[in-house]
This record gives sequence, structure tokens and C-alpha cells, in this order.
Amino acid sequence: MKNINRRGFLRTGVAGAAGIVALSPSLVSAATSNQQKDVISRTLGKTGMEVPVISFGVMRSDNPNLCKAAYEKGIKLFDTANGYQNGNNEIMLGNLLKDYPRNSFYLATKVKPAGVDREGKPSDQTTSEDFLSKFNTSLSRLKMDYVDILYIHDIRNPEMLEYKPIINAVKNLKKEGRIKFIGFSTHANEPVVIDAAASMDYLDVILTAYNFKQTYITELNNAIKKASKAGIGIVAMKTLAGGGFLDKEKTKPINSTAALKWVLSNPDVTTTISGMTDFDQLDLNIKILADISITDQEKKDLIIASAERGLYCTGCTTCLNACTMNLPVPDLMRAYMYAYGYSNPAMAQSLLSELGTNDNPCKECSLCKVECTKKFDIREKIADISRLVNVPSDFLV
Amino acid sequence: MRHILLLSLFLTVLSLSTFSQDIKLPDLKGYKKTTSYPVYLPENLWDYIDGAADTYLAYGFVDLHVAEYKKGKNVIKLEIYRQEDHTMAFGIYSTERSPSFRFLNLGSQGYITTDGAINFFKANYYVKIRTYSKNENTLKSSESLAHIVADMITGGSEMPSVLSLFPETGKKINEETYINESVLGHKSLNKAFKATYESGNDNFSIFIMENITPAETRKSVEAYLTATGNEAADSEIGRIMLKDGYNGTIFLAWKENRIVIISGLSKDQSEIADKYTSEILK
Repeated sequence: MKNINRRGFLRTGVAGAAGIVALSPSLVSAATSNQQKDVISRTLGKTGMEVPVISFGVMRSDNPNLCKAAYEKGIKLFDTANGYQNGNNEIMLGNLLKDYPRNSFYLATKVKPAGVDREGKPSDQTTSEDFLSKFNTSLSRLKMDYVDILYIHDIRNPEMLEYKPIINAVKNLKKEGRIKFIGFSTHANEPVVIDAAASMDYLDVILTAYNFKQTYITELNNAIKKASKAGIGIVAMKTLAGGGFLDKEKTKPINSTAALKWVLSNPDVTTTISGMTDFDQLDLNIKILADISITDQEKKDLIIASAERGLYCTGCTTCLNACTMNLPVPDLMRAYMYAYGYSNPAMAQSLLSELGTNDNPCKECSLCKVECTKKFDIREKIADISRLVNVPSDFLV
Repeated sequence: MRHILLLSLFLTVLSLSTFSQDIKLPDLKGYKKTTSYPVYLPENLWDYIDGAADTYLAYGFVDLHVAEYKKGKNVIKLEIYRQEDHTMAFGIYSTERSPSFRFLNLGSQGYITTDGAINFFKANYYVKIRTYSKNENTLKSSESLAHIVADMITGGSEMPSVLSLFPETGKKINEETYINESVLGHKSLNKAFKATYESGNDNFSIFIMENITPAETRKSVEAYLTATGNEAADSEIGRIMLKDGYNGTIFLAWKENRIVIISGLSKDQSEIADKYTSEILK
């Protein structure tokens, strides 16, 4: 390029080698109309909604052109929430989608009931008035007459699924046609909550954390299967196991394609909301829309990623015979995960009771010989969790 | 209630044994302060704010300290988010700001929403105060608490200096944002301040990126041009109008450490783009 060191803008020449990124919007549309024929869609439980296996978790996107490109490439379900970006996210999405035919996309938002405590229980502040006020604000920001799915945001205790002020409010919204389907989102204590939800006939959809790194995946899969059999559609989120990197320094990216394909290998999962922020990620995801089969390399990447240290024990049991006190280290680590990962200390205490360990099982040992494959300080974690033994069980609701 | 308090106490002890805490949560006259929440870290922020956590993490979230202040049935919740630096704190603050809010002289900048929530940022902290009470005294106490916290946080109360580079003519007030990653959806463009403008019937956005070296500037420009299928440019200074397949007509200019991008104008509005660019790159 010559003569660009000047005042005034010059028009660039097109190199012609950048593939779809360089296409004009009209050409993008033409290209995607072909792609849409190959899109893999699944039915979202009893809602009957046919949803492509990749959906758009809009929460971080500030660029409507990214959402527009996703729409044009075959993504139909857009997911936001009342609280994302203090409402700016819904405003951005509403300004974009108002210009598209309403039956050409699905829109989901979430409203979080006020005053729910850390254990997921309602309080005096958990009122239908507050919930409906937030929903009305969301609908106004989205510039829509209705949303396809309204999720009650962040259910972590089955008690909330029967809390009348909120449940009756969402049922009324459905009767009024202001929401098409009722759902809830969950990312703590998911197996317990989803299992309970399976028997509640007012529920249509569950949005759950689901990824290859979850240590309680067996319990979660069982709960998902039960809910799915009951006709509840399952949508997956947090599919990259928290942030897309395996380390805090962000030097070890997760193979996002492999992680998404792993999620979709469960036929009970209809779609996954991928939090896209750039066109490269969108293009990768669009390829998955047409092909969800996991390659050998992707399998290897997931195995390597699974072995990376996370917050919790993965139950590899290599430490089992290393403890000189013959402690059931993997089980104690599982109790630790119940308390911190599930936020369910009662379940942790129940397990400790089953194991019969005391409040300081390492007391008689001066040198820990347990070498954790994930480099956890086992002694510290055991000391931490074992104090639960002394907490009266009545206090751990 | 006793059960919940004891459980909360237990969880606090459990949490404090794992996470350090160096923020002193202030007292509020007439209210009972409780700190039953752990100090949230990047690993577990989602446990507190769900999917919104991703945005905080993208802006260099370090930790979160939470306290509740109770007086009868009235509860005020204080959240102090520590971000990586001042720019990141502005970044997350700006994603949640709306020009329609009532702005307050608080920290670097703050506002109160129609439902009584108060948000502000100062130094590398983003502070949020909420109450579900409609009681006037409680709302006043919320505001008092905000000022106490703002005074408690050390560091300057200035706005990020790059914001002063944006020309004032036509600029929409309090709509500036900071985008840490993937400006305009392109991975090659990062760390941009953005302002929105109105000129007659035209609405457009200006992005300013400050790099450490001219070489970094050139590298970003080249990567962006390549990603959009345009000819790469190898120069320390330049002004180009280009077609970005996803974002339409883009005016791109760079000089030494600085990149300016204007989007939202049509290809026959290069005079407007030139005027603004010249002011920023002068």
C-alpha cells in the first residue's frame, strides 16, 4: 500500500484471501442461506421448539453486528438476562431483533428473584411484585410483546421451585402469552435441583451448567435424563468449564470446539448457549452447527484438559494407598467439593458421617505422604472440611 | 433464623481459611453489619452473580467483598469489586452505566438508578450498593454508605485520561465505554475506549486504542486489515477507509502509539471522519 502517510482517508484494496470475513453483508447472507440447510437442530422437550445445537449466550457481547452475523449464519436462540450489563445487554439485543421477523428467532431472558439467600431460599423480599416489575422492564428493553423462554434465574435449592409467589407469577405470564415457556437456570447444586424439577409439570426448560470438567457429572447426567424423559428441554451453559482457559494466567486455552461437541454428545441436551465475543469464535461455532462428531484430536484435547488441576478432586484415586493413616482421601475431597462446589455443607457432613472420620483426622500424622496428581494441599483441605463434623446437623439445612 | 446465622458463620470461617481478605468493610450508623459471604475470587464469582461473572472476568476481576447492613426488615447490600486497575474498573462500570441515570459526585463517577441502586468506581474498585427497601431513610443510608466507601478507598478520583482525547462536538454524554477484548468483534483489536456521537441524523462511534509502542500499533493495524481481507499496511502513520464485512464502512487511522477507528459513517462521509480523526491525532 502506497501513499497512506497523508491527511484524508484512502480506500483500501481488497486482498481477496480472507474468506468469509471479507464478504460484504449481502454475500454473507447468500453464503449462510446455503449453510442453514445443514444446520443440526434438536427439539427442546415439550416446547416443540426446533433449536439449532448452537445458540448465542449474548451476556458479554456489546456488538450488535456479532449477533446479526450469528442470526444470518443460522443461530436462532439468543439468551440474555435482566441483570446482564445492568440492562444494557437486553437493550442492545432488542434494538437489533426488533427489525427481524418475530417468528425467525427465539429469545430467552432471565429474571432473578430478589432476596434469595446463599442457600437459595426465599425471604420476605422475594416477592412477585419485584419479579414482575423486573420482567416488565426486560420486555420493554427487548422491545418485544413476549419472550419465548423466561428463566427464573439461579435456582440452587428445590424449595424455590415450589415458592408460590414466583411460580404463580410465571404461570400467569404464560397464560397471558407474555412468555411462551417457563424455565429456570441453575449452576449450583444442579443434580439435586434438576432431579426435583423433573416431577414439576409447570416447567418446560432447564438451563444448566454442563461441561466436561464437572466432577459430579454422573449425578448430573442422571438428573438430566430424568428431566428430559419428563419432557423438559435441556439447554447447556458454562460449557467451557469457566472462562475458556485451564489456568489463571490464560496460557492454556480449552479447545472450545471439543468442549461444545462433548456437551452435544449427550442427546438429552438440545442446545448450548455459547458466549461469543468475536467473529473467529462465531465461525468455529458455525462449523459445529453442521458437524458435532468429535475427532480423535478433540478427544485427546479433552483428556489433557480434564487432567489439568481445577478447584476440586477428580477422583483419580492415585492417592488412595499413600495416606499413612489410611484415610479415604478421595471421599474426603468429595466432601470438600460438596461444601464448596455444590454449596451444600449438609451433603458434605452426611458423607463425613458415612466415612466416620473425626474433626481432625490428620492430627496424629506429622508428615503427609499423599502426593495429589493435581498438586492439592490434601492435608489443608482435609483439615478444612473435617471441621464440619462438629457442626450440629440441624444447622446445615 | 438461628440456623441460617450459624451456617453463615460457619461458611464465613470456612471461606476465610481459604481466601485472604484485606478490605475493611465499613460500619453504618444504626445498622447491623454482617459479612456472611466469602470473598469471591475469579474461580467462584459465578456462584454470586451467575452468567454476569464472565463480563467481570473479562475486565480483570480480582476479588469481591460483600456485606449486608440490616435495620429491622430493611437491608442494604454492599459489593466491592476489585479489578486489575483503574481502566478495568472504569470498563466494567461503563458496561453497566446508562446516561439516563442520576449521576452523583461519588468516587471517579457514580450514579443512582430509578430503583435506588448506587454504583460508582474509584481507583481499581467498582462499588455497588443495593436495597429492596423503598423506605426513604434506608435510601438515604444507602447514599451515606456509598460516600463512606468512596472515602475509604484510597487513590485518585480522576476519570481515565484517554477519555479527554474524544472531541466534545456531538459526543453523547456518559456513554463512553472501555472494551478490553475483541473490539468490533475482532480478536486483533483490543483495549479501546469508545464514545458515541450524534451529528445531524448520523450516529457513529469512535474507538481510541493506545499502544505501548508504534510497533504494536502497526501490528494491530496489520492484523485487522488482514482479518477483514484488506491489504496490509506497513507504515507508522496512515488513514484508510475500508470495508469490514461484518461492521460495514470503517475509517481507520493510526499514528505512533494511537489507533482511531470510526464506525457508523457511510463511505461518502469521510470529511466527518477526517475532522474527528485529525483532532484526536493532532
